[in-house]
Amino acid sequence: MEGQGNGLVLECRGLRKAFGDLQAVDGVGFSIAEGETYGLLGPNGAGKTTSISMICGLLQRDAGDVFVDGKPLTTRSVGAKSAVGYVPQDLAIYPDLTARENLAFFGRLYGLSGNELKTRVDEVLEIIGLADRKNDKSDEFSGGMKRRLNIGIGLLHGPHLLVLDEPTVGVDPQSRNAILESVEHLSTEGMAVLYTTHYMEEAERLCDRVGIIDHGKIVAEGNRRELVELVGQRDRIRLRASGDLEGAAAAVAGLPGVLEAAAREDGLDLIVECAADTLTEILGGVTQAGATVSSVDVDEPNLEAVFLHLTGRALRD
Amino acid sequence: MKVLTIAGTSVRRLTRDRSNIFFVFILPMLLILILGAAFGGSSDPRVGVVSSGSGALGEDLAGRISEVEGITVSDWEDKDSLVLAVERGQLEAGVVIPEGYDDTLRNSESVTIEFVSRPDPSAEALKNTVDSAATEQGALLRAAAFTVGQGTADFSEALETAEDVAVATKGLVIEQRTVGEPFAFEQLGRFELGAYSQLLLFVFLTSMTGSAALIQSRQLGVSERMLSTPTPVRTILAGEALGRLSVAMVQGLLIIFGTALMFGVDWGDPLGATATFLVFSLGASGVGMLMGATFKNDQQAGGIGVLVGIGFGALGGCMLPLSIMKIFSPTLYNVAHITPHAWGIEAFEELILYGGTIADITLELAVLAAFAAVVFALGAWRLRAALTK
Repeated sequence: MEGQGNGLVLECRGLRKAFGDLQAVDGVGFSIAEGETYGLLGPNGAGKTTSISMICGLLQRDAGDVFVDGKPLTTRSVGAKSAVGYVPQDLAIYPDLTARENLAFFGRLYGLSGNELKTRVDEVLEIIGLADRKNDKSDEFSGGMKRRLNIGIGLLHGPHLLVLDEPTVGVDPQSRNAILESVEHLSTEGMAVLYTTHYMEEAERLCDRVGIIDHGKIVAEGNRRELVELVGQRDRIRLRASGDLEGAAAAVAGLPGVLEAAAREDGLDLIVECAADTLTEILGGVTQAGATVSSVDVDEPNLEAVFLHLTGRALRD
Repeated sequence: MKVLTIAGTSVRRLTRDRSNIFFVFILPMLLILILGAAFGGSSDPRVGVVSSGSGALGEDLAGRISEVEGITVSDWEDKDSLVLAVERGQLEAGVVIPEGYDDTLRNSESVTIEFVSRPDPSAEALKNTVDSAATEQGALLRAAAFTVGQGTADFSEALETAEDVAVATKGLVIEQRTVGEPFAFEQLGRFELGAYSQLLLFVFLTSMTGSAALIQSRQLGVSERMLSTPTPVRTILAGEALGRLSVAMVQGLLIIFGTALMFGVDWGDPLGATATFLVFSLGASGVGMLMGATFKNDQQAGGIGVLVGIGFGALGGCMLPLSIMKIFSPTLYNVAHITPHAWGIEAFEELILYGGTIADITLELAVLAAFAAVVFALGAWRLRAALTK
């Protein structure tokens, strides 16, 4: 079996893995194109790490296929693994080696040597912001610095596919933001990114598409808007206003994209198809109807709500 | 090259830990030095002699004692300092020839020579050695006394004649023939026994405790991450194995060359010594890899590793020489050969004690090689299973 070779960096189909009686992954399949960031979103124990382990050739799969750049990838593959940069959830670095030594060690395992290795190590040290600490042992680093080194190792060989397994777990907000910015930057440079997380806001910020995984299955897939529409969720707008509120409600109820409009004691409640598209017209309509708006709250359905709708439980359960 | 990268990192990590530097490199050399100083067999027992005021015959006896082979004799001014030196271990024994020794003997009176020693097993042998010198002088004195009794000469003339006769007369000669094998440690130089026994003990012990590093790599997730790189499992296994072996080799070579340069240890046939060390190190590394692949945490591996390392070393003759074990407990001697240490020690004894060559230790090398092959195969199998799940 071969990959379709249609510009997809990663294709995986029908991945299955059981540990005894537990079916950890049950038919997972998705694809990622060049420059695309794909988020695998699910709670702990949903099967994210097991899926990633099979995709990166770390774990024997019971069934399914993985193709990277059109080449099949298994635990025994060598060529296909050259195109993958793997960043595990837990730190996988030698604490008694320096940042430079850790990078050089893995760089050699990725097949780099000589000047190319030295150049790439220096470049990655700059990318992860550890150039000035390159000769310090990694056990002297803060948690965030270790995380950045952990990510840097996955970038050494310039992979086509970067696989990040919950890279921000236990990271301080500043380092977390730096990591997210790095991922955004890599994506704009054309790298395909597979990003697992149970943080909804990270998936919404980074990912072009999201696969929601639960009990080893992908239960829904698409961009945020598609997922929201899939479960029939709508945007809510709450206006704090005074004046002729009944008249204002009647005036905006007929605007395109406004599904419901109701007056209440201190303002208006509206349900719309897309708040961003209709908010300007709504504010204009309310003002024209003789009401004065003092504040606006927009409540867009998020992936947390989608997940709750699809699985009946919250992401962090 | 990837194999060398993985192996080199193992050695680098070992040397990063300062406590490892002490336990792996410094402690073995210290123990060899201590064992050599305590039990070394090449130095002669030291005997001090006080003879001031003892006259010509006293000086003659002191001279006879100093000519005895197998002891080192020194002169002491007085009895008190001599006794103190024996008590403190500066001397193995002391002889006090009393003042007026000469005059007393010439008057045909009895004289007591005092022999001072610690209550060691070797004291009696030393006393016999000193006795032999006194007996030799006593025979001459008796002959001179007989002549004086005959009225043919005075004591001085008679003693001179007796000495001339003694030189001209061929006495009895006792020819010594040895049977059986010597106790190993009795035939060795001061540091040889400690050197090869500690070499085997520490190389094996380091491989055992070094298995913790392999477990740490797995616990840290580094081993798994290696699998995500374009590196075949067999390369990772070979790198880890070479890493274990490299650590053993670095330590062993340091002990071998260090003891040769610092203590003058002669390791015998270079080819035989190299082969013995190499196959023993392979076996030790294989056991280390097997433990590293089997145990789940480094504390477990470190604790059991020390027990196994010291236990095998003790049983295998690194602490009690096999030649003594063979005499006092043949059963224990046979059991000792379940350990690679016993085979390694016998190989080194053949090379160092008897001047054997690699051809004389083929059995020992074959057993050690077979042991290494078995444990390496088991270790590689277990580690592959642990890595690839």
